[in-house]
Amino acid sequence: MKKILSILLVLAVMAGAAFAGGAGEGAKKEVTIGFSLWTMKYTFFQAVEKGVRDACKELGYKYIMIDQNEDATKMVNDLNSLVGQKVTGIVITPVDPGAIGPAVKKARDAKIPVVCADIGKTGPVNALMISNNKKGGEMAMEYMDKLFKEKGIASKKVGVGRVQPQYTYASQRGDGFVAKAKEMGYTVVSDLVTQPPTAEGGYDTMQQMLSANPDIAGVFFASGREAVGASNAIKAAGKNTLVVGYNGDPEEIQAMKDGIMAGDIAQQPYYIGYQSVMLLKEIFAGKTYEDAVVPVDVALLTPSNVDEFQKKVDALMKK
Amino acid sequence: MNGVRGHARVWIASRWDSFGLPALISILLVTFSLLSSTFASGFNLLSNLAFSSLVGIGAIGMVFCIMSGDFDISVGSMSALAGVLGASLVGRIGGVGAVLVTVATATVCGFVNGVFVTKLKIPAFITTLGMQYVYRAIAYIYTSNTPVYIKDPFWLFLGSGTVLGIPFPIIITVVCFAAAVYVLRKTSFGRYVVAVGTNKTAAMLSGINVDFIKNMVFVLVGFFVGIATVVTASYLGSVNPGMTGQGYEFQVITVVVLGGTALTGGNGNMLGAFFASLFLTYLQNGLGLKQVNSYWQFVATGLVLIFAVGINRVKSALLGQREA
Repeated sequence: MKKILSILLVLAVMAGAAFAGGAGEGAKKEVTIGFSLWTMKYTFFQAVEKGVRDACKELGYKYIMIDQNEDATKMVNDLNSLVGQKVTGIVITPVDPGAIGPAVKKARDAKIPVVCADIGKTGPVNALMISNNKKGGEMAMEYMDKLFKEKGIASKKVGVGRVQPQYTYASQRGDGFVAKAKEMGYTVVSDLVTQPPTAEGGYDTMQQMLSANPDIAGVFFASGREAVGASNAIKAAGKNTLVVGYNGDPEEIQAMKDGIMAGDIAQQPYYIGYQSVMLLKEIFAGKTYEDAVVPVDVALLTPSNVDEFQKKVDALMKK
Repeated sequence: MNGVRGHARVWIASRWDSFGLPALISILLVTFSLLSSTFASGFNLLSNLAFSSLVGIGAIGMVFCIMSGDFDISVGSMSALAGVLGASLVGRIGGVGAVLVTVATATVCGFVNGVFVTKLKIPAFITTLGMQYVYRAIAYIYTSNTPVYIKDPFWLFLGSGTVLGIPFPIIITVVCFAAAVYVLRKTSFGRYVVAVGTNKTAAMLSGINVDFIKNMVFVLVGFFVGIATVVTASYLGSVNPGMTGQGYEFQVITVVVLGGTALTGGNGNMLGAFFASLFLTYLQNGLGLKQVNSYWQFVATGLVLIFAVGINRVKSALLGQREA
């Protein structure tokens, strides 16, 4: 009896709330952008968020941000919540790009366009804005080759620390590097997935590479934190292996200034976030995007142009 | 205790188990509804009710397990393994078969845990800590660390479909909890679980097959985690060997403890776990809609948990019950 009463109590309050609230806020006249973000823990994502927020401010759109807290199920629930709030458009940087399918379909059924800002996509998204990762990997190998020639390094042994395979777009970084390496006559003696995807994982993975191939000349780590970890492992081992990373985060810039990392492929997270909203604006105006992939350029960072790069980034984030 | 205040406290304490959480949920619902009309929409309330099932269903088996004096921290990895195995077989045995494989796999994992605990006498913490690595590793190896996508309409309906406007996960949750409450309160198995958790030696001396009961609760953990995995996989449209179930064990145990089941074992609160999952889901939802920084949501969850355990202690003291 008590159990039934307690359940009825909760149901009654819920029904009351639902009746009082009606069907939620009615059709909005103003444009609202709902942004679902992987996490705010890393500078890369903070830059994406600032890009989305600034674009909304410029266009006079209302801006709602929900942090997924690196939780795939929360990510899906948040997407459903945004659909329930009847936002005009959705931007999402998904922690698990493979898990957004059903939720994106719900959004599209409700006539809400969805643009993925980086990472990847599943389901009927309108577009994905993502760095030209394959080109980035190729640029890393080309730079490494240039450095080898400058330093007179004869060894043709290189290695790659990849991102986890579920990130199909980021995985193209490793693919681009390996393809270019083979093309240029290098041997990829070590092809590993960096586990876990952290600085410690980069350190560990690099140590494994060094144990197997003590004379490895250069390595490409497809993610910034991991590359910095790898650089530290090389320093600790007293080796001269060259490291090229990917992302353009402050930790990598510091590593380059400290001289432990040779180069870095920088993405443009602010631009990715910003352009995602601009793309939504075009969709609102009637332009059609369906399952489009919009590549964003990446840049090569070296110890010589690092300061200039940092200044530009700081200016964007302080805006 | 004397006086009006004393009587009031005892009155509340004696009704806390049944009405405490529902009352808190009602207060929460009213508060957030006043703060946000989006919160109060039927769509929001229902979709979060469905979302709460992901942890709620998994908590059912855990309530039995914790009541019997053990717990299982391998449930997240169990979920990953069961999910990838089932999802990968959809092409060969169809959606229905794949769903059954998922539930069966998780149940078998639970059984394996139970055997280690009862026959090999390895403490539950160590067993499930170790199996946590084993199950997930098998999931990684089996899928080469790639996600498995679910496109089968039957499976997708289980998580996203509606029946008469009610999201299907809610129906699954109601059926599961109803069955669990029945087993717990109306069968001898349920009574034995409480007995084993209250005093294992006394239970054994009174003729209860303690090993069988302990093994069965782990099987139940696996079974309900399997069902929860089916719903979650449907919700997400995919199973990811690395991401599925990460942190799931903590979410489930939080819900069980918040619901009023003590980690020390003995009698617990099955429906409490259901209400706890509702409470935490709506709390997170309400705070999120008000754009509260997610880290404060973690603070809120932590404080709620401490508050709930504290209340249980006060209640036990007031009613002269054994310190829980």
